[in-house]
Amino acid sequence: MKQTSIAVLVLFALLTACGGGEAPLPESYETLLKGGHVIDPKNDLSAPRDIAISGGKIVAVRENLPEDRAGKVVDVSGLYVTPGLIDLHAHVYAGTGIPGVLTGDSSVYPDHFSFRSGCTTLVDVGSSGHRNFEDFKDRVIDGSKTRVLVLLNVAGGGMGVDGEDNPADMEPEKIAAMIKKYPEIIVGIKTAHYPGPEWVSVERAVEAANLANVPVMVDFGGNHPDARPIGQLFLDKLRPGDIYTHMYSGLRVELTDEGKINPSMFEGRKRGIIFDVGHGGGSFTWRVAVPAYKEGFPPDTISTDLHTGSMNDAMKDMTNVMSKILNLGSSIEDVVRMSTWKPAEAIKRPELGHLSEGAIADVTVLRLDEGDFGFLDVKRITQKGNKLLTAELTLKDGNVAWDLNGRAGEDWETFYAREENRADR
Amino acid sequence: MRLSHLLLGLFLLPALLAAQPYDLLLKGGHVLDPRNGINAPMDVAISGNKIARVAENIAPTEAKQTVDVSGLYVTPGLVDMHVHVYTGTGNKDSYTGDRSIYPDGFTFRSGVTTVVDAGSSGWTNFPDFKDKVIDISKTRVLALLNIVGKGMAGREKIEQDMSDMDPKATAKRAKEYPDTVVGIKSAHFAGPEWASVDNAVQAGKLADLPVMIDFGTFQEARPFQELVLDHLRPGDIYTHGYKVQVPYIGEDGKLLPYLAQARNRGIKFDVGHGGGSFSWKNAVPAIRQGFWPDSISTDLHIGSMNAGMKDMTNVMSKILSQGVPLYDVIKMSTWNPAQQIKRTELGHLSEGAVADVAVLRLDHGRFGLVDAQKARVVATKLIVCEMTLRDGAVAWDLNGRTATDYRQAYGLM
Repeated sequence: MKQTSIAVLVLFALLTACGGGEAPLPESYETLLKGGHVIDPKNDLSAPRDIAISGGKIVAVRENLPEDRAGKVVDVSGLYVTPGLIDLHAHVYAGTGIPGVLTGDSSVYPDHFSFRSGCTTLVDVGSSGHRNFEDFKDRVIDGSKTRVLVLLNVAGGGMGVDGEDNPADMEPEKIAAMIKKYPEIIVGIKTAHYPGPEWVSVERAVEAANLANVPVMVDFGGNHPDARPIGQLFLDKLRPGDIYTHMYSGLRVELTDEGKINPSMFEGRKRGIIFDVGHGGGSFTWRVAVPAYKEGFPPDTISTDLHTGSMNDAMKDMTNVMSKILNLGSSIEDVVRMSTWKPAEAIKRPELGHLSEGAIADVTVLRLDEGDFGFLDVKRITQKGNKLLTAELTLKDGNVAWDLNGRAGEDWETFYAREENRADR
Repeated sequence: MRLSHLLLGLFLLPALLAAQPYDLLLKGGHVLDPRNGINAPMDVAISGNKIARVAENIAPTEAKQTVDVSGLYVTPGLVDMHVHVYTGTGNKDSYTGDRSIYPDGFTFRSGVTTVVDAGSSGWTNFPDFKDKVIDISKTRVLALLNIVGKGMAGREKIEQDMSDMDPKATAKRAKEYPDTVVGIKSAHFAGPEWASVDNAVQAGKLADLPVMIDFGTFQEARPFQELVLDHLRPGDIYTHGYKVQVPYIGEDGKLLPYLAQARNRGIKFDVGHGGGSFSWKNAVPAIRQGFWPDSISTDLHIGSMNAGMKDMTNVMSKILSQGVPLYDVIKMSTWNPAQQIKRTELGHLSEGAVADVAVLRLDHGRFGLVDAQKARVVATKLIVCEMTLRDGAVAWDLNGRTATDYRQAYGLM
């Protein structure tokens, strides 16, 4: 009886939603983000909207939502409200104590960087392989507040001490088996740092990806423009939906000697290859990015390649990398799309990266400053820009995970005037 | 042809060297160097890893590289006297593990060049801490040894174990590492005994080092006044200075008199913000009535990093917001902590000093600064870190001031 009535209610709600009419407004909600400009590229929305949140979910995105139904009202006027940012390329397998590798001291802990830069989801790309993924999960993923998803390295030991250049350690069946064991966390496969000129790391990654039905991300390693050109990678070796990271590095003839974007990049894009920034410590140059914009080749996805070698250098954090793309000429709407819905689609996690009613309440509030800013690239060249994005507020599953200016807080005088807050505890 | 070039080069070399004695010149900034009483527009020249000269109008021709820092403040590299950075062990829910933070990701971007780990490790696990974190960090990491031999390996049991508080073993370990260990810490002790404090002071006496106290559980059997008036020695440090449990204001709305007595005795009051140890309820009246902190520190750990604390410049901005002049805020973040840990080679820009330098921007606007209870003070000034040099090398450069301009690099200007 109860089940039937719930089913009827659900059906009614669905019909109402599908019928174009808005679902009835909830009687109350926990949090109301009031007065912001919502950018939600999945839903083609860029307009002033309020957002109501309850139980870790988005419950309403409307104009002028009533304040008296909200447990807490957070004034976000003058700010952009976006889906929680997804950083598609990070290295967070820290805490093993192994020096000098991304399965250890060269990685960083996710929570230390994510929320303060607006990220609610990080994708660790290949730090771990099928042999050490479970250690990574136990050590970092399970204990992190950040949503950490993973691309498994085609090399069994990931980016650890065994290296990534041993074909015998690239075993598609074992990789696919591990992915099928943890489908909630592992969203794809990575090959990286493979010296070449053979194709084996790419081929085994794609083979494993076919078995597990997930995308592949390629850091193309050594440059062999004759034996292993990127054109062949884009047009023959990879599949539509696979991801090429470090797109503006210039390390593998992304820019020709004539200063033009390699035509195969355009052909690859046409075929459905996804081009990712993957800034890192050595993979973002104005030398490539500026001509790319002139020729109309912006990124599909923006990502940091966060690790200890990039964090304090030109990369810094997600909003800094987004600001670079914004200053290159992309619109704020496109920059948000490249940092939310596009990466969510790329890793086939369409429940993330948008603010649909009913979606997970991962929300970022960004401030866009106008001024005189300098942006470094990895060659230590500074490009001036007049726009800078800063994360003001980050909600993960509806909870405040970062609040730069205490917008979700309360004025100290009214707070301590209340008797319950005066006790010494 | 080649030979003549070589000869010409050899001929010019001494002249070039003489003309450019400095590697880096920070030009046009306002220097705040409290140790030397400097609060004035000055240029700062660096050679190798040392401060070479601080003076008005040093010519750019004297330096291989000149960086424009006009409109900015140039200060000694900040010294954060209270952090937790013993991580990477895999210990869950402990400051000897996952509750600590690798220093380099937080220090330089906030102007900090030296941190003092405040008791995450004790005498038994300090060597492991040194091996895992201290020796591989670019940040200068100093340490206070916890009076508990196993350090902060577990608040419920391990840190309450009075049988593991050994002053002799702690002092011995401190003396083995005089370059790194700068004091003793007692923390998280529930009491009501004074064992952790008294053993820490005993270790401090044996090693001739200061003690820093986190008073753990405040309770009537162990009054705070007795801590700062009787148990601690001049030069010892009470951290968590504006914690809500510390008695500050009497019935008359005035500062309690014992505070001045403690300060006159030489007890140092450190901010130690942390996740739960900074309350506007105490900080606002205390600072406005003149009870300023001696030192500003973050108590950086995973519970504070993303909450009210955030980072060093944010905590400094809080003290600034209550009317403490910027010069004094810098003093509390450089020379004062350096003196407290008896590392007087740090925290200043004297010629010959190590070139740890912070370049700070003071923004004007409307900023919300929250305490541990999420109570908010609206400030009109915010300190932002623009650039950090560690040992003369660029460790953080927010706006790419030390790099080549794009237009110049590609012949567009």
